[in-house]
Amino acid sequence: MAMMPKRVKHRKSQRGRIKGNATRGNTVVFGDFGLQAVEGGWIKAQTIEAGRIAAQQYVRGEGRLYIRMFPDKSVTSTPLETRMGKGKGEPDYWAAVVKPGTVLYELGGVTEQQAKICFARLAHKMPIRVRLVRRRAV
Amino acid sequence: MSNKESFHVQLRDVKGTRKSRALRASGLVPAVLYGHGQECVNLTVPVKEVDAMIRHGSRVVELSGGITETAFVKEVQWNAFGTDVLHLDLTRVNAKELVDVTVRVELRGDAPGTHQGGMVNHVLHELEMMCPASDIPEKIDLDINHLELDQSITAGEIDLPKGATLVTDKSAVIVQCSEVHAQPEETGVVDTSAEPEVIGRKESAEEEGSE
Repeated sequence: MAMMPKRVKHRKSQRGRIKGNATRGNTVVFGDFGLQAVEGGWIKAQTIEAGRIAAQQYVRGEGRLYIRMFPDKSVTSTPLETRMGKGKGEPDYWAAVVKPGTVLYELGGVTEQQAKICFARLAHKMPIRVRLVRRRAV
Repeated sequence: MSNKESFHVQLRDVKGTRKSRALRASGLVPAVLYGHGQECVNLTVPVKEVDAMIRHGSRVVELSGGITETAFVKEVQWNAFGTDVLHLDLTRVNAKELVDVTVRVELRGDAPGTHQGGMVNHVLHELEMMCPASDIPEKIDLDINHLELDQSITAGEIDLPKGATLVTDKSAVIVQCSEVHAQPEETGVVDTSAEPEVIGRKESAEEEGSE
């Protein structure tokens, strides 16, 4: 089941712009390795789930996977062959707004080699360029 | 114990974003030195020496060149990607002075609990402690060779270096071995029609109805 908020203030949101780099959520906090976004974009809830499954299948019971993003933006769309006007479309899917530098996923309890393979599988699912980062000592 | 690095610093009289960026482009990292009731001094440190300090895990540095002092690296500012150091905060320090420092905890060994269907969960990766500036450990090795299933090791059980006192809560769990929970199976069907509850919507609808 794809992720989405339990309660929202408004059903629909404006599109917005992704400006600047991530100043929060840009370090590895829970695990030992992280998958960091190199560019910004929207990541669909279904894509997040696809990445989770791809990583979980590789990790099995050995390591622990953490998802560091949440799809809290509703994206609307108008049906095909609709005439202009008649207002904003209905919510189509939920997406996470990702700035460059955001850590998307984290892995703990695995070796670096395992993390590399796991994140390589996961990176194929992502619509943006990503890279592997390690926990910082200082 | 972590090695003491040396920084060949220069006094810095330029301030501000643009000039700091120009310094970084020329291979220098802006830094500031303060503490012990003395005046604040602006410095530059070669980026190669900063990288070496981070690579070796040193926290106490010997300053030479523009100023001669022993300093403790209080804070390191990184860019958004964690690739480049933007700024250093250095405080004057004596060898015997107690400093508040965070030290990373590394797990060593193989927990027997993992062979009983458990998984090692490293909860707390860093410990905060007060220790003499001359004896700051680079890391703390935690032996988990006796960690059975459903057992945990708390911060209070860790052997600290001589002269160090723990600041982190003693009951804080560092590592635990717990049973692996089965992951929810993927049904392949995604319910896209479900929508979250809209806050305040029901109340306003009732009000309209009553009027």
